[in-house]
This record gives sequence, structure tokens and C-alpha cells, in this order.
Amino acid sequence: MQLKKTDLTGALKILAADASVFVPGEIEGIKRFVLWDGESDVDLGGANTQLPPKDILFPCTEKMYNYKMGDSIEIKEIVEKPRQVIFGIRPCDMRSIDCMDHVFLEKGFVDSYYSRKRENVTLIAMGCTTPERTCFCDSMGLDPNNAPNADVMMNDGGDTLVLEAYTEKGKAVLEALNGLLSEGGQAKKDTACTLKVNMTPELPEKLAGMFDHPIWDEVTRACIGCATCTYVCPTCYCFDIDSDNHGAEGTKFRCWDSCMFSDYTRMAGGHDPRPTKKERVRNRYMHKLSYFHERYGQHLCVGCGRCVEKCPAHMDITMFIDKAAEV
Amino acid sequence: MGEINHECTCHGNPLVPQVVKVIKITQETPDVKTFRMQTPDGKKPFAPLPGQLGMISVVGVGEGMFSITAQGEDWIESSIKKVGMLTEAFHELAEGQEIAIRGPYGNHFPVEALKGKDLIFIGGGIGLAPVRSLIRYCMEHREDYGHIDIVYGSRSPEDLCFKEDLFQNWPKEKDTRVEITVDRGNETWEGNVGFVPAYVEELAFSPENKKVILCGPPIMIKFTSEALVRMGFAKEDVITTLEMRMKCGIGKCGRCNIGSKYVCLDGPVFNLAELDELPDEK
Repeated sequence: MQLKKTDLTGALKILAADASVFVPGEIEGIKRFVLWDGESDVDLGGANTQLPPKDILFPCTEKMYNYKMGDSIEIKEIVEKPRQVIFGIRPCDMRSIDCMDHVFLEKGFVDSYYSRKRENVTLIAMGCTTPERTCFCDSMGLDPNNAPNADVMMNDGGDTLVLEAYTEKGKAVLEALNGLLSEGGQAKKDTACTLKVNMTPELPEKLAGMFDHPIWDEVTRACIGCATCTYVCPTCYCFDIDSDNHGAEGTKFRCWDSCMFSDYTRMAGGHDPRPTKKERVRNRYMHKLSYFHERYGQHLCVGCGRCVEKCPAHMDITMFIDKAAEV
Repeated sequence: MGEINHECTCHGNPLVPQVVKVIKITQETPDVKTFRMQTPDGKKPFAPLPGQLGMISVVGVGEGMFSITAQGEDWIESSIKKVGMLTEAFHELAEGQEIAIRGPYGNHFPVEALKGKDLIFIGGGIGLAPVRSLIRYCMEHREDYGHIDIVYGSRSPEDLCFKEDLFQNWPKEKDTRVEITVDRGNETWEGNVGFVPAYVEELAFSPENKKVILCGPPIMIKFTSEALVRMGFAKEDVITTLEMRMKCGIGKCGRCNIGSKYVCLDGPVFNLAELDELPDEK
């Protein structure tokens, strides 16, 4: 099916009738996903957003429960099941949701806060047309033209967007948009990344044997521990839990944390198993390229290139991959 | 190690704790207290297997992961050493006050695989707390296990935890021997003086049909493990527990990983052979 680009606003209006629709936009000069305002034109092309849409399913601060203290304690869980649509999400960010699904929904415990949002979100993905110079998703095993876990996959078709439903949720979307859709459409699906990285199938296991390799002294030297890489990363999911007290009551919340911070693993009493940036960066790269693969069978790096683009110290995971593949 | 038990009692949301009342506080040492907890309506909050953990909170201050050191019909207990801000808040609690707990978390000591074996429990300092849950279990199922040795050491006689168990309860148990050592004695101490690893070698255990359960500070685990290996113990037969900083307790928040394993979920119980497979990040 295809949708005329001139009908995009009309389609978004239909979707926004019973859900919060997030679209690529801009806030204070930063390209990121924003809540659609009900009228603005949306540009689905160009480079991917500078920030990933991960905060829609995994907010950077999320309230968990309220409590009241006194002679007895009351605890009241906060339950939110927002109906949300992420419209125009790219294949790399779609793969990051796949990674999050593994973490939050598997291995014995289901994370209620994530699963409630995940169940109620509709993912309408957009194939890339103009990759950035730092994009390397196809080296990480992705196809920049396709997101297999999307509800609806969209690709550029010139004057139209070509839509295909992959799930029941996706079929419902196409039904809702039926009045604006027509048969046919020729989708362009030949986008390829320009940056190629030597991510060999053997690398996860090879890295597991390189824990004490001298490469870590060299590749971690530039890091200044600012955590920008983890903030812009679509797959970084580490969080902290803390409380916000107001007298005898308060709220327990969780918020994004970063393995790059010095107090991340420091225990009461002072012992820290990862005391310097060498251990921290090593853990981050190993997690992305080896540990996660061992645990869940896929890479935790989706090749979006944001950390490469944003690191103020020019740390570059693609250069690390190439180096590690060679040694 | 033992199969993972994910029967969390948190009403569907594993990150929301249940309220419990502190019904008894025991001052074990100058900086260790044991807190007995019960639901406000007089029930046991959950029934952990030996070695399992609870995320316990002083509501409004914070929460931390502690081993459940003992349990009865209608209570569970954790022993907490004062080392930082949260544990200080625990030490300021009074009997009757309410706190909150979620769990049980983590794997547990392999109680089935230990059946029919002679057991050597080796504890250092507050490290006796997780071991104690298994000692108590074995005492309750005494016929399932062989001879029991309990070797325990602390910095000084004042720092010995669970003195009632060490000096009165356990020595009375059938086929059980308790051996205690302190790093530094005092004028009334008549027992052994010396570090745990040396004392274990002195006691000259034979590895035959034995399993060792070893918990304590990292340095004590390291030297005691090396001593046990020198004495001929197979690494599979030496079981210990790991500690890392934890927040969620359910393998999501990220920080307690060692390699691809999460200590809160895949641990805390590992044997030395399993630890050899993990990156050296302890």
C-alpha cells in the first residue's frame, strides 16, 4: 500500500485520535523524537535523529511507586499504560527495542514498567534513505531498509510512502488509514552504509578471551568519563533507583544511569570492582560486543553511530572493532 | 549452581516491595545487627532457599541487597553490618518499626547436590550471614548431610557474629564441630589466633566426599580458596558467594554484571570452577 506524502498530516491526525504520536522533530536545535502537535509537517527523510527514541518506552526518569511514612508505611504502585505510536523510527532504533525486549521481558522477571509501555506502543518504522557518515548498521547485521520487528514498515517511494504491515497491530493501522491509502508503490530499498566495520562473527567470542589484552590500555586512554556515549546510545539500558522525599511521603523512581560513572559499581565500604576508566570502557565495549551476545544471542550495538558522532574525546567503537578483529 | 527460583512475592511487579515490621533486633557485634522481619499481619514475607537474597529498604532512605540469614515459621532475618549511609539507617531502627522488602532473589546453595556429603562451612566476618542460612537448613535436615565442620573467623572476639549459634547451638548438634579463630585475641580469648586461610590449612581437612561453602571478604575468599586447592579440593567442590553493587535485583539495571552473568540473578552462589570461567573482575 502507499500513502501520498501530501497526505502524511492527514494520516498522523488519524493515528493521533487515540494515541500520543511521536515523530522526528527538533527541540532547541537537537533533532529528536517529539510529541506530534497535531498540525506540523513531518520530515521522515534525512539523517536519523540525534537522540534515539528510547525514552518513549524507557523514560529517563520514571516514577515507580509512592510511599507514605508514619506509624505504618503505605506503598502504592504507579501504573501507566499510555497508548503511544512511534512514527518514523529507523531500523537501528527498532533493533535497539529488540535488545530492550530481551533485557526487560526475559530471563525470569518481566519489568512491569517497560512491558506496560511496550504492549501499548505501535511501531511504524521508516527505512533509511540518506545514511550519516557514522552509520554502520549493516556491518552489525542490520538492513537499513528494513526493520523486521516493526508493526508497519515504511519505505520511501518518491512522492509516496510505501507501507507494509508486519503484525496484527500494523494491520489495524493500515485499516485505520485505509481511506488515504492506494494500491501499489515502488519502494526504494537500496540504501547501504558508507562506513564499513570488520564485525566478524567470531569477534564476540574472541573478545571474551581478550579481557586482559593490552588493547584496553590503548583504546580507553582518550575517555573522559562524561557518559555521553551511554546517553545517546539507543541500547544502553542501565538504570539507578532512588527516592524523592517530601516530608513524610515520597516517590520511588528510576532513572538512566551510566556504567561510565565512577560511583556506578562502587559499593558501601568503598570497594569498586571497576575503579578506573579502563575497566569501565572495557565493560561497556565488552557488553556491547561480547557479553550481551553470549547472554541473548545478538549484539548490543546496532551501528547507529551516535556515540562515534557525539563523543567529545573522539572515542570510536568502530575503530575498536576493526582493531580487535586484527589483533 | 542451583536452579534459579523466580517466585518473587511482589504482587506482579517485582520492583515494588511489600511492607514488613521489624519484630526483633539483635546486636551481634559492635557494628552488626540482625533484623527479624514479619508482615504487619504476622506472616512470613516469603520463603527463600538458603543463600537467596532480599532487597530491603528503609523507606525514604534507600534499599540494599542482603542475604536472608535465617527464617522461621512466620519471620525472616537479615544481618546487616554498618558500613555506609543506608546501613546506618538500618542500625537506627527500633523494634516495631516498619520497613519494606522485595524478593527472594538470586539462585541458592545447591541443597540437593550437597546431600550425603560431609560439609565444611568457612566464614569470615559478616560472611557468616549467607552461610548461616545453609547451616540452619542442614541442621533442620540433619539426616541428609554427613559430618559438619564450621570454621569461622573475625577480626577480634568482639566481632564474632552469631555468638549464640557458635558457642551454644551448633556445638550441641550431632556430628558437628565448630572451630573459631580471631585475627587478634584479647586478654580473655583462649581460642585460636590467626587468619582463616592459615587456620583452614592447619585443620588439614581431607577433600574426600566433602563440599566446602566459603563466604567472607574478597581477600579471605581468595587466600582460603588457594589453600583449599593446595589441600586437594576440586574447584567444583568449593562453593562461594559474590557481591556487587545492585539496584534492581532482577537482572535488568546492569551494574552487577561480571562478564555476561548478573550476580543478583545468576548468582550470588557460584563454585570456584564457575568463577574461573568469568572475567577476573572481583
